[in-house]
Amino acid sequence: MENHLKTDRNPTEKPYKTRIKGMGRYGIFIAFILVCVVLSVVTPKFLTVSNLLIVVTQVSINALLAFGVTFVILTGGIDLSIGSTVAVTSVVAAMFAHPDSYPVIVPILTGLAAGLLLGAFNGLVITKSKVPPFIVTLGTMTIGRGLALILSKGRPISNLSDSFNFIGGGQLAGIPTPIIILIVFFIICSVVLKKTVLGRYMYAVGGNEPAAKASGIQLNKVKMVVYTLCGGLAALAGILLTSRITTGQPNAGVGFELDAIAAAIIGGTSTTGGTGTMTGTLIGALLIGVISNGLDLMNVTSYYQQVVMGIIIIGAVVLDSLNQNKS
Amino acid sequence: MKRIYFSYFSAIFFLSLFVSGCNQSTSSEKSGESGGKKLTVGVTMLSMQNEFIVNVSDEIEKKANELGVELITVDAERSALKQIEQVESFIAQKVDVIIMNPCEVEASSPAVTKALAAKIPIVNVNSETTAKPTAFIGSDDVESGRIAMKFIAEKLGGKGNVVMMHGYMGQAAQIKREQGAREVLKQYPNLKLLAHQTGEWDRAKGMALMENWIQSYGADINAVFAQNDEMGMGAVKALTDAGLKSKVIVVSIDAIPDALQAVQKGTLDATVFQNAEQQGAKSIETAVKIAKGEAFDKETLIPFQLVTKDNLAKFMK
Repeated sequence: MENHLKTDRNPTEKPYKTRIKGMGRYGIFIAFILVCVVLSVVTPKFLTVSNLLIVVTQVSINALLAFGVTFVILTGGIDLSIGSTVAVTSVVAAMFAHPDSYPVIVPILTGLAAGLLLGAFNGLVITKSKVPPFIVTLGTMTIGRGLALILSKGRPISNLSDSFNFIGGGQLAGIPTPIIILIVFFIICSVVLKKTVLGRYMYAVGGNEPAAKASGIQLNKVKMVVYTLCGGLAALAGILLTSRITTGQPNAGVGFELDAIAAAIIGGTSTTGGTGTMTGTLIGALLIGVISNGLDLMNVTSYYQQVVMGIIIIGAVVLDSLNQNKS
Repeated sequence: MKRIYFSYFSAIFFLSLFVSGCNQSTSSEKSGESGGKKLTVGVTMLSMQNEFIVNVSDEIEKKANELGVELITVDAERSALKQIEQVESFIAQKVDVIIMNPCEVEASSPAVTKALAAKIPIVNVNSETTAKPTAFIGSDDVESGRIAMKFIAEKLGGKGNVVMMHGYMGQAAQIKREQGAREVLKQYPNLKLLAHQTGEWDRAKGMALMENWIQSYGADINAVFAQNDEMGMGAVKALTDAGLKSKVIVVSIDAIPDALQAVQKGTLDATVFQNAEQQGAKSIETAVKIAKGEAFDKETLIPFQLVTKDNLAKFMK
């Protein structure tokens, strides 16, 4: 899957980094294992089944957002609006999720529709106007936050049905539902990226846009799909969050976009596009989650937590880039 | 030619603005409601994304309608800088009184100084600034922390392990609620603060924090004090999921509708009621008194009240 565009490449372009991507991902994986080992040694509470289940449950929301943003960054774009999309979805889904009002599928579908629409709106404006995605999604971020507040009148929406609360708060065979949803969508996103034409197009658009265009790929279509997918995954994260905390929150998801982007970047997704994998992103999200959980377990003061988190993020990426340069 | 016309029209436009501006200020000096021209009050609120603040703001609006006062309400979105700019714009608009719900103790102070320098009275509602405003309406947050921790101490018979969830570190409410809680902890040497950490006022973050604490302390935790209801509700959810709720006392502050329902259901043991309605109503009433030159209280402290199952009915709407 690594380098589909080799033949299309303009010879004067810098050689792709995709070849050594394997090494880069390896670096992040080592960092992740290292952090886990250190935490297991430092605090005996870390390496228990119940704690690990909790970590992955807590990670699931950020991971879903990070999958979506990985698609976008792969094509050389960025999406800052996903945190607000979480809020809009949260409010919309909650509005339809009161007990004895609608079957549980209705809040799920309306929530998803809200996210897909916001994503499609991003895609449409970006492809039609040629305004940089950074600016467009920054605008959508503000619009989304406003919409969430308007729809909810600034207040959380509570009293949700048990069946809706099961989505993010239930268990199947002893495994929390968010973990199951995470695994399912990890597989789907990986397959889309690795095994489908669409996935290959994403790498192509991000790796070398002119070449991709010359080879007949419809750039706008790919971008449209990518932003819509990202909105959809953000909606899913929003539904999960709403169900987990059993309320629709118009101020949910503030700053989520940064955690998601951090996960993708830590996981080896190149900020300039063309390089990255879902496995890398998943490990990136897990790394962030494990650090946060570990520091809580050790009762590290929140002031230090932020410093430690920042150092580890930079450290992980430096390690990754050293690895890439070496090869 | 066009340019001449333009300047001509704009001159008339500005002149008329000026004249109407004068009218407004002269008539408002005479009276609030009867003289035809209404009193204008500029209101800047900390964040309209916060349910409690929205409640205060709604009450200001309701009362303003009753009193026949014109309101200009703006949202500072938690930015002290933005708040100062909003107050500057109120000054430029020559409002009669300003009501400010300060974002920060220090950083929002210049807004007070500027309003007073422009001879426009300013009323602070809910939280304080270092600079003294014309009047202050609010509640003492230290008291709320005291009330909550006192409840825990009494429930546990003065002995046990407590965890505390902070709001955003460094905010006035966080500092004061912690201060109040720690005052009570000092009086009960056998009450141990096992862990404390920020949940950033957020339900999801509070829930994650509680899950992590359950992992590290498990059944050792006897009580949770969350500095607001959102985090308290998150803690309740995490404890319920872990099957520990019946063994752990959870107390939080604000008495938002969700929390009151939880108290009714028995999942939340207590919350502390901060009276948004009275804060809103008193602030606009005081503002109008000041504008009309009537006597007013320089400081109105509205007491907090502990809400448990026993007195819940009073607070449910």
